[in-house]
Amino acid sequence: MKAGPLQLGVAPPENRGIAILDFFLRLIAIVGTLASAIAMATTNQTLPIFSQFIRFKAKFNDLPSFTFFVVASSIVSAYLILSLAFSILHIVKANLVNTRVLLLFLDTAAMGLLMAGSSAATAIVQLAHNGNNKVNWFAICQQYNSFCKRVSGSLIGSYAGVVLLILLILLSGVALSRR
Amino acid sequence: MDSSHSTKEAGDIPIPITNPKSKSSKTAPLVVANTKKTAHQPPVSRWKRCLGILDIILRICAIVASLAAATAMGTTDQQLPFFTQFFQFKAEYNDLPSFTFFVIANATAAAYLVLSLPFSIVCIVRPHIIGARLMLLIFDTIAVSLITAAASAAASIVYLAHNGNSNANWVAICQQFDDFCQRVTGAVVASFIAALIFIVLVIVSAVALRRN
Repeated sequence: MKAGPLQLGVAPPENRGIAILDFFLRLIAIVGTLASAIAMATTNQTLPIFSQFIRFKAKFNDLPSFTFFVVASSIVSAYLILSLAFSILHIVKANLVNTRVLLLFLDTAAMGLLMAGSSAATAIVQLAHNGNNKVNWFAICQQYNSFCKRVSGSLIGSYAGVVLLILLILLSGVALSRR
Repeated sequence: MDSSHSTKEAGDIPIPITNPKSKSSKTAPLVVANTKKTAHQPPVSRWKRCLGILDIILRICAIVASLAAATAMGTTDQQLPFFTQFFQFKAEYNDLPSFTFFVIANATAAAYLVLSLPFSIVCIVRPHIIGARLMLLIFDTIAVSLITAAASAAASIVYLAHNGNSNANWVAICQQFDDFCQRVTGAVVASFIAALIFIVLVIVSAVALRRN
């Protein structure tokens, strides 16, 4: 800490750099969460066998965990798009405190929601890949191959979103402590 | 008439009254601005101490919640009273890898909370230390994501166990193993409460980091 005359109301110049980095990380997080929501929501695989009594079609809304994942990812990406406005505000005026605390709180809530959706979907994907013979749950990935691949791939985007949100929270914390 | 030397009685605030005529003959009066300690702390560090006390109370509640979740899940063991040679009628938490991850994650979170109690106490005793607060913020954020992941992975398996899934031909096992199911559901609820407490801890750390 440099000893010098205390300048009230003027933020250190590093805070502007933190705000710019915050803005770019938000952009990347938007791309990641939106891509994973779309990839999960457009799954649709029909097996070439059919009979009158059993269905051989797999969509994301057959499993409620996947529905929750799509809804959570969409909510978080909508929130991130709206929070770009706050991010730009922090670039322009780098010494606002209350909006930074508000943004940190909303980022934490969004990170919790996204993590909940991702890990619920991961649990189901793990079951679908391996099955579980202790409870007699059959591994459906052996039949619905392309459905499984698409679903597993969309999880990567949302975990990237979670990591970016954690980085955003840390950046907000560092910027708050540096005023 | 004029006293131009300071008195050193305890509690006195000596007011130097210099007599210009006798300035050179006496020693310069000692100016002691304040011999008493301040009776009250400045308001900034007072509300930071309040936040620190709230932080510790919440940490202890979160320790209880996540330990309860880990032990409730870890001590599940239900055996149905009938058996055959080929079918298993026993349900334990490590039959499902999501539940194993749940137990490990909650135990890790409880251990982290116990280790972070000294840092929290440091933040109460010395409210102007920012590094400890920032470190608590960083690790609390990581802990939020870990506990939320464990709780919601277990919640999705519990939902499947309660309702089954006809599209994937997955049978609802809760209709047979209902004691196991109740215990596991209670553990998931406790873990979600711990996640909520962690989020409040992050907000408390953020508010306490403001410097004004």
